[in-house]
Parts: sequence; C-alpha cells; structure tokens
Amino acid sequence: MKNLEALLQSEFTIDYEDNVALMEEVLGKSCDIVKREVIIHEKVDIPCCFFFTDGLADDKQIDKAIRDLQYHVTHLDGTVLGSYDLIRNVQTHLLSDASISQVDCCEAAVEAILSGDTVIIADGFEKVLILSSRGWKTRSVEEPMTESVIRGPREGFTESIRTNTALVRRRIRDPLLHFRAMKIGKRSKTDVNVAFIDGIVKPGLVDEVFQRLERIKIDAILDSGYIEELIEDVPLSPFVTIQSTERPDKVAAALLEGRAAIFVDNSPFVLIVPTYFWQYIQASDDYYSRYWVGTFFRMIRYIAFLLSLTAPSVYVMLLSFHQEMVPTPLALTIASGREVVPFPVLMEALIMEITFELMREAGLRMPRPIGSAMSIVGSLVIGQAAVQAGLVSPFMVIVISITAISSFAIPNYAASFSIRMLRFPLMIASGTLGLLGFAAVFMLLVIHAMSVRSFGEPYFSPATPFRPSDQKDMVFRMPWWMMDKRPHMAKGDMYRQTENQRPGPDHDQGGHESDE
Amino acid sequence: MKTKITNGILMGLIINMVYPKAIGVTQGLMAREAMNDIWVAMVFSTIKGSVIMLLTVLIICRMPDKNLAEYASVLFGKWVGKFISLLQILFFLGAYATVMITFVYHMLDYFLPEMPVLLLIVVALIVGVYGVFHGLEVLGRTALVGVFAIISLNVLILIGSLHLMDVRELMPFLNTGVINTFIASRHNDTDWAVATMMTGMILPMVREKTIWSRAGVGGVMFSAIMVGMWPLLEVGVLSPEVTGHYTVSCMQLARSAEIGMFIHRYEMIMVAFFAITSLVQTMICILCTSQAASQLFGLKDIRPMIIPSALVLSAFGYWIVLDKVRAVELLEHVWPVWALSIAISLPVILYIVGLFIKPRPTPSDRETA
Repeated sequence: MKNLEALLQSEFTIDYEDNVALMEEVLGKSCDIVKREVIIHEKVDIPCCFFFTDGLADDKQIDKAIRDLQYHVTHLDGTVLGSYDLIRNVQTHLLSDASISQVDCCEAAVEAILSGDTVIIADGFEKVLILSSRGWKTRSVEEPMTESVIRGPREGFTESIRTNTALVRRRIRDPLLHFRAMKIGKRSKTDVNVAFIDGIVKPGLVDEVFQRLERIKIDAILDSGYIEELIEDVPLSPFVTIQSTERPDKVAAALLEGRAAIFVDNSPFVLIVPTYFWQYIQASDDYYSRYWVGTFFRMIRYIAFLLSLTAPSVYVMLLSFHQEMVPTPLALTIASGREVVPFPVLMEALIMEITFELMREAGLRMPRPIGSAMSIVGSLVIGQAAVQAGLVSPFMVIVISITAISSFAIPNYAASFSIRMLRFPLMIASGTLGLLGFAAVFMLLVIHAMSVRSFGEPYFSPATPFRPSDQKDMVFRMPWWMMDKRPHMAKGDMYRQTENQRPGPDHDQGGHESDE
Repeated sequence: MKTKITNGILMGLIINMVYPKAIGVTQGLMAREAMNDIWVAMVFSTIKGSVIMLLTVLIICRMPDKNLAEYASVLFGKWVGKFISLLQILFFLGAYATVMITFVYHMLDYFLPEMPVLLLIVVALIVGVYGVFHGLEVLGRTALVGVFAIISLNVLILIGSLHLMDVRELMPFLNTGVINTFIASRHNDTDWAVATMMTGMILPMVREKTIWSRAGVGGVMFSAIMVGMWPLLEVGVLSPEVTGHYTVSCMQLARSAEIGMFIHRYEMIMVAFFAITSLVQTMICILCTSQAASQLFGLKDIRPMIIPSALVLSAFGYWIVLDKVRAVELLEHVWPVWALSIAISLPVILYIVGLFIKPRPTPSDRETA
C-alpha cells in the first residue's frame, strides 16, 4: 500500500520505458484499463502510448486523436525541433480540437485515466499529455420519479454531474452563477460542485459549505445522501435540514433566493442549503399555477401535514382517555365498530401503522408487476379481512388511511418520512398519558424544532423568528407581481423584479376599451 | 457570544407569561370580589402593569448590559445584589406554584381526574428543563408558537361563545364600586408582576435598546388585548357568580362554547393550545430562577443551576397543588402580597435610588471605555 502511494507521488522522467512501466505498475492488470502503443512521425519515430479506461473514455475521440497524430504529425519538422518541442507542437497544433493538458505527476495521470480521460506518454517528453475523452453511457434526462408536477418542466437530474450543472445553467444564464469544484472520497474521488449566484447568496454561506465539505474524510461518496449526513447541522434530529431534489427548476429557484446547491456526481439528487421546514410543504407547481390555485393546494398540504402528524394520536387519545369529547352519535358508531376488537386502541393503531409501513416498504422493493398484486392483497387484508375478523375497527382503518394519504401529499419524501416517524412517539404518549402525554411530547418536539438550524438559519423561519416580509411565500403564495423582493436570507441584489408589475388595463389611458 | 433575542420575541414572552393564568384563574379570583366589573379591574391592572414595566425598562436603560440584580449590586454592593437575586428566586418560586396550579388543575379537573399529581408535575419539569437547556433564544421562538396558539384559541372561543353572550350581565357598570374594583385588580397585578420581573432579568439580552420601552409596554398592551375578551365573555356567558365559583373559570367557558353539533366541547382544543403557553411559562420560570441562582452563587453559566432550580420549584409546586385549599389560599391571599411586595418595591426603590446615586464604573466598564 505504501509502495503504491510512493509510486503515485513519483514524477515522470524523460525515459519513455520508465514512464510506461510506472503507469503499468500503478494501474496493475485491470482488464478495463486499455494500453495502446503507436509510433508517430515517420522520420523521427517517436513511440507513444495511450492509456484509457474502457467504457469511461469515448473511443471515437481516442481514434481521432491517434489518426491526427499518425497522419498529420509528419507536417512538423521533428528533426529540427527535437521531440520535446515536437510534442509541444502536437499539443498546440494537432490536438487543439480537444481539451488537452500536461501533467508531470503520476497521481494526476492515474486520476485522469480513472475519470475517463486518456493519458498519452511520448518518448523524450518528461510530462504526459491528458486528452479529455470522457464519454460513458448515461441515463437520459427524464421526468423526476419522486417530484412530478402537473404544470412545469418535466426535466429531472441524472447521474452525470455535468448534465446536472448544464440543466441549471440553461435556466440561469448569468455569469454570476458560479460552480466551484472539489473532489471528495479517498478512493471514489467523487466530483462535487457547489453552485451559487454571486451577489445574491447569503454572505459566508459558500465558505461554510466548503468548510463542511472539506471536513469530510471518507473513502467513497456513492450518493449525495452521504454528503447530506456528513454536513448537516443536527445529526441526531429527526428533521431533515438539507433539502434534496431531482428538479433543476427547484435548484434554480433556490439559487435565485440566495441559497447554495451541492451537486454530487453519480447522484440525481442535488442538495440545497440552507433549508427551512416550510419548503418541504411547498411544491414546484405552486409557482407555475395561478397564485390562488397554488395557495389552495399549499393549504391542503398544510392540513395534510397536520393530519399526518397528529391524526392517529388524537384518535387514540380521544378513545382511550377523553371519550366525552367525542359527539355522542359519533362515539356510539365508533363503539359499535370496536365492540369485537380485542386490543386497546393504542395497540390497534400501532398494529395498523406498522402493517401500513410494511406494505409501503414491500411495495417499494418488489418488482413492479408484483407490487400491484401486493397492494391488492394488502388492501384486502387490511381493509376488509382484518375488520371482518374483528382485529381492527373500521374507524381505525379510515384514520390510518387518511393519515397515509396525507403523508403522501407532502411533496418531499424525506420530510414525509420524518413526519411519519414522529407519529409513533406522539401516539404512544397519547395512548399512555392522554392529553398530558400528547401535549408534553408535542411540546418537546416544538422545542427541539425551534432549536434546529440549517447552515445558520433558524429551521422554522420565517414563522419563528417571525419575518413579515417573507410571509408572502409561506402559507400563502402571493401573486408574482407582489413578490418584488427576494427572501430575507438573500443579500445584495434584493429585488427580483421592478415594482408595480400588476397587470391590467393601462389606467393612464382611460382604463379598458369600450365596445364603441 | 451572548444570546440575543429580538424585541418581538420579548413581546411574545410577555404575552405567554401573562396569558395562561390571567384568562381563567385570575378572572375567577377577581369575580369573587368585583363581580361583573372584572374587565374594569383588568383595565386598572393593565395601567399599573404598564407603569411598572416602563419603570423596569428605564432602570435597565441606565446600564443596558445589567439586569436588576446586577444593577443593584453596582449601586449598593455585591451582597445587596445577592439579596435581590434571592428575592427573585423567592418570587419565581411563588410564580411557579401559580403556574402549576393553572396547569395541573386544567388537566386534573377537566380531563384526567385519576392522573397522579406527581406525574403532571414531573412532565412539566421534564419539558421545562429540556426547554431551558436550549436557551432563551429557543424559548423565545417557542413563545411565538405560543402566541399563534393564543390567537387561534381566542378566535375559536370567540366564534363558539359570542352568540351565547348576554351583555346585560356586564351591567351595572362599576357595580361594586371603584375602590373595590381597584383592590380586586391586585390579582391581575400579580400576572403583570411575573411579566415585569421576567423582563427585569432578560431585558439586557434583547437586541435593540432604543425600542425597549416600546416593546415592554407594547407587550403589556398586546397581552391585555389577548386576555381582554376573556373577562367580558366569562361574565357575559357564564355570569359573574358562576365565573367566581370556579378555580379555572376559562375551562367552564370553553365547556359551554360550541360550533354546531360536532364541535360541542371545546375543552380539549383549548387545552391543546393552552398547554403550549402554559409550558412556556414553566420554562421561563425555571430559566429566571436558574439565572437568579447562578447570580446568587456567583456562577457565570446558568446551566449547573437549571436542574437544582427546577427540582426546588417542582417540589414546592407539588406541595401547593397537592391540597386544593392550600392552592386557593395561596392564590387568594398569600401570592398577591408575596408577588406585589417584591415586583413593585424592587423597581420603585431601584429607580428612585438610581436617581440620586450614580454608579461608579466597574473595572470592566473602564476596560470597555
């Protein structure tokens, strides 16, 4: 191992054989590493060796480079110039159509090969050339699986970081939009890009992001989930403090609000920081539909959030401790349904919740054709057979179904899942201590939620701390012509549009035209 | 960096410190003396509360980085400062007992009659300590959630009980006489006392000094607006006699409120919202006691004092709540004397003495200069 590290640190020499041997020793005998030797310049006979990774490098580019070298290099007068200058001329005159650079360290050359580039070793030249030839098969841009919309762009991120940055660049053609690169992972050397708009981004945020990213010392990053877990503010919290999205439009909107985005190669999920809790309840459609439609559906989602968090707990609490709070006709209906159920309400709710989670998980993991069969069996078992067998009451089935539907109405899957998890302590407290338990656990959750920050920003802002100017885009989605200013967090260029953009007839010219 | 909160959060904290007891327990106490004029008593009390609040703010403005006890130690020396801290601990000991009376009797009388009192006290203790360990900033944000809960609760009660209100119950105006109504307002004064004593301790942690007085008095006024509808509704819906009959009269109002057939009982909705403000009150009492205790023992950090303070407060609260007669005795007779003698005399004395004695700059002040 130490030997390999020493080899990686070594520099290339003027000796061609030594350089090739060095590369072979470092790269081993891996079958996907291709070595191709050619002779260029018929008068000088310069041996050259190409190293690249099969599957990562674009064969056409390599073929073209070899052709260029073999057929056109003779135009350069090698006898006069010597091979050192000849290679320099090759770089500037013959391969100028592709991105090409020189390196003198073995580590850089190896890294280039494993990233899909091609290394060219030439005799008599103490450096090696790196020809940019990355070209592997990638998934095409498709509609995001987890964040579909009725109205809005259908493009989603892919596993290619460059495709992903391009998708955002296409939406913001501003030279102030910067992508800063770094690599994380001792073995994976995963490309990570941090995007932000200079002049809008919150001061200090980019430095903070880089500081946290540089702190990561790990062998491999296989998905942005790794990074999310390694840089979040409150690792023990059930709340998700870093937003992940598959939607380029969401990332573009976040950047325009003064936030930063973290792109990770091989992951279609881009991270957005800082994040506020309320963003998980907002969907992209809210901004593309008319404002009152957006507001209405946003409110539905707030109700869904409340139901998802509290519906089973409130039901358990009412039926276990505070039956007098239920209107008499309703109480009698529930009681008749529960007459044959042998379990206490808390147990019944827990059984149902766990069964539902089981079905959800099984439906997710199973192959799609079997998944539909699974859902039929599940719904029959839970919806009908369990009730008929007297294991659960029909009312409990309704409550759990409403809760499940509500949890799926939350647009962000990670947030929806964390809310689903929080249901359990609330339910257990409600079922054991009644209103006292519900109030106490709810309060503990509130206190914890209030203490959470995301990259320095209070998680529940702009509700608490209360920011009046940001209320235009929290519970309500005000019309675009009213949202002149960017959110409080953005700094610098605070206005996203000029004032008084409300459309309508030109009042200066006497209002709307008459039929005459 | 020292914790800083905004003036808006200060106002939220004041509202939360006053509301839970003032809407029910205090109204019941006042109704026994002032009958249908409890709302007038509240107006008197609000004026007094505003004056004491203003006085407290003016004192702190003299040395904006020092709270009342620290200011007293600058004026009179270290031991007087420690004595003031001791008074503050005693004050919040009583305040915590009244908070526990409000919290426990809400639960015990209306929802969980078989629940052991100790369990209720322990739950309040756990939530309180957890909150205080997160610091004033988090408590302040939680208080804003409490304000939202208060507004929701008020709107719901207003919708559910306005149609039941009989304005004739409020007549005749000043039925029991101005002086009697004024005297009865002392019960409400104790609520403002808790708010002013809290402000005297946390004001140095509030950001914009220039609007301290506006935030302090504004907090009192907003609290009065939030609480104000309760005496009117309680008298108008329940009648003064019934209001005075109950320890927690607001729950009786909530019990009679209804919206249609399916929301016929409000108590649970009310307590669900109410619990947030009540527990914020619990946390602030523990925080203020811990701060006073740390000053008493010369500690720079309040954290070592949080659990001991919370245990002492809870033990006393438990002892009071365990016997209802003792609890009512405390509320009716002991607490007004206890609270007002400290909460009024302390700012008045410090304000007047501060006019004549100019504090000498401490070594740290000289360093700053």
